[in-house]
Amino acid sequence: MKDDSKRQTKGKLSRREFIKAGVAGLGIAAAGGLSHPVFGQGPAIIKGTKLSILQGTYFIAPAQELYKKQAQEWGQANGVTVATDFLNWPDLQPKIAAAVQAGGLDIVELWPAWNYLYRESLVDLTKEAEEVGSRGGGFETYVLNSAKVGGRFLGIPSGQNNHSMNYRISWFKEAGVANAEDGSKLDMTWDEYHAVAKKCKANGHPFGQALGHSTSDPPCFCYSFMWSNGAMEISKDGKNILFNKPEFVEGLRKFIQAWKDGYDETGTSWDDSSNNRAFLSEQICCTLNASSIYFAAKKDKPHIAKDMNHMLMPKGPAGRFYLLGTRTFGILKNSKNIPAAKEFLKWWFDDKQYGEWFRLQEGYQLQTTKKYAKDPVWDKDPKMSPFKEQPKYGRDLGYAGPANEKAGLASSKYIVVDTLARAVQSGDAKAAIEWGADQLKRIYGV
Amino acid sequence: MAWATKGCVIRASFLFSANAKRAVANSAAALFLEREMIGHETLSSSGGTVKRYGRWSLRRLLERESSLGIILMLPGAFLLMLFMAYPFFLGIWLSLTDSMIGRMGHFIGFRNFIDLLHDSIFHQTVRNTFVYAMVTVPFKATLGLGLALILNNRMRFSNPIRAGVMMPWIVPTALSSLGWYMIFDPVFSPISWLLKSLGLITKNVNFLGDPNLAIASVCLANIWRGIPFFGITILAGLQAVPHELHEAAAIDGANAWHRFLHITIPTIRGVVLIAALLSIIWTFADFQLIYILTKGGPANMTHIFGTYAYQIGLAATDIGQGAAIALYMFPILSVFAILLLKYLRRE
Repeated sequence: MKDDSKRQTKGKLSRREFIKAGVAGLGIAAAGGLSHPVFGQGPAIIKGTKLSILQGTYFIAPAQELYKKQAQEWGQANGVTVATDFLNWPDLQPKIAAAVQAGGLDIVELWPAWNYLYRESLVDLTKEAEEVGSRGGGFETYVLNSAKVGGRFLGIPSGQNNHSMNYRISWFKEAGVANAEDGSKLDMTWDEYHAVAKKCKANGHPFGQALGHSTSDPPCFCYSFMWSNGAMEISKDGKNILFNKPEFVEGLRKFIQAWKDGYDETGTSWDDSSNNRAFLSEQICCTLNASSIYFAAKKDKPHIAKDMNHMLMPKGPAGRFYLLGTRTFGILKNSKNIPAAKEFLKWWFDDKQYGEWFRLQEGYQLQTTKKYAKDPVWDKDPKMSPFKEQPKYGRDLGYAGPANEKAGLASSKYIVVDTLARAVQSGDAKAAIEWGADQLKRIYGV
Repeated sequence: MAWATKGCVIRASFLFSANAKRAVANSAAALFLEREMIGHETLSSSGGTVKRYGRWSLRRLLERESSLGIILMLPGAFLLMLFMAYPFFLGIWLSLTDSMIGRMGHFIGFRNFIDLLHDSIFHQTVRNTFVYAMVTVPFKATLGLGLALILNNRMRFSNPIRAGVMMPWIVPTALSSLGWYMIFDPVFSPISWLLKSLGLITKNVNFLGDPNLAIASVCLANIWRGIPFFGITILAGLQAVPHELHEAAAIDGANAWHRFLHITIPTIRGVVLIAALLSIIWTFADFQLIYILTKGGPANMTHIFGTYAYQIGLAATDIGQGAAIALYMFPILSVFAILLLKYLRRE
């Protein structure tokens, strides 16, 4: 029996030998990971794994290609199969929500307030984000306001695309606007802006504004309009809905009239791309949009690019505001490959990769850190200079309260957007605002 | 049942025969195998008599029609349980909680359902859904009937034409909806362009931005998609109308209208009713067309149950309330489903 048992263990590891070998192997693996000499290569433990990254489609297509290329390069260097997917903006959140429930994604692009919504399902990336911040001389204030959840970073901030007023120089001149060539010199109130709209529409060039259920242009316009007219969803202490304010009712009354006099009235069904198409087909004179229109014009319609410029958002009785929160790249807790996801993000946010991606967008992407506010990219084209000022006026969803899940819920239900859409449809500013206030009360539970 | 009984009788008669006794004695192994496999029949030690052995053997189960039916149904039932019953009961449970995506909630009773009763967007959604389902079906039925009557005539290339007519129904809705999205484009609509070129209008038609036009536009797209279903279903009904009846009526002096009214309509009534009930159920639970055309806008004027549940449950992550919205559809659809089943049973 003794001989038999010896024979049986021959060629196999005994339990003790197995443990010894395992510890030694782990030690070697850990040492290999820690002392990796080549930058851009992660620890050996991630080799042979898969990584799935989901984000919204880019209006600046070369930046999307660059991101894909960078991800592939990193994947090849580290033996990781990287899949990068890009979804239409309105489909991004439902897809992430489904992945939160059912898995299948590792890295996701999170828009403002989503960090709050999915806070239970995101990996804490405070250490990694703070490294990025300190390397860049500190984050911009809008980034700190929008990216942190309860003092923690649940994603590494990547910035936000710019948005402001795009206008046609010659048609503004036709309407008697002084200094129309230089967008940085235009500083209008809503009343002045709408007076120009009226003249332009009379000349056959209406303004255009998307008020449909779409995630970017409609909320950017409507939140800015609400704040600049003295209203907000909720007070800072979260106790009072401050939506139904007389100044806002008055501002909205004027807007209803201006909509008829100065805008293309089909805007109630426009989405994020409708105004781009309308502007580039010379149907409208002015619209709120990112600089994607300008870039497309430079590429395909140079005469429009030459005749257009950007200016800051009009200001109202309460001042000038932009809806602005940073996007972040987060890792889902149910990811099967958190180590590779972290390694990739750390690598991608290094200046070499992020800087190339940031500069390629020529000011379309707003800076997250102070260092990038001084980047030479901002001096390249004077028509892009108004965007550099945007972070100064940025407020996030839910302002003056935090950009929490309730603010996210109100945004997903398009309450502020629908308030303006209802007003222009019904012609009754007061009833529209009362409807919005009622909806906000239900959402915020106050 | 008949064939199974017959099998038993044959087997029993075989076993009772003398030949069988010899066969069993000479081949114990075969008997053992048979006993193991059959399990429910064996021979007593005295030989020749049969007694029951194992009430639930596989062969017995397979031979009995009632149990075989259940066995054959099991894979289907399992799939239904997995993909229908499980999500349905999970949906019921979620609707009774304050769950958010990624965060399991607590039981809150019917609060989600009660909250919705006070939600003006939900009221609008209910109104829209009824309009969307009820207004479109009569149009689909009438136009489908017309289409079927045309297709029922003998003509050249009738088969390719019939196949072509089915296109709106066959093409994936997401794809055809994109076509309608372009037709209704606020800036580049070909309809607006045509009307403007003819000098009939001066500015673009706000198909999806005007509250009334928006619901009318999505109804139009839905009608277009639904006509072929009615057309082909009714066509099948029309072809079942005996030609002799028409001939006999014609001899009796009935004109085409009378024949249509008194022969065709009563014959196809059942088919039309079934198609209408199915269409109501499908239209009620629609999603793709509205989501692609308007996403429920402008200002929620085209939200239906499916799109609002999606917006609240997935986009706004309030999956508890999203489930409650979807479940409000259940009793309404149940009524139509019961009507449909009752009619089918009676037929």
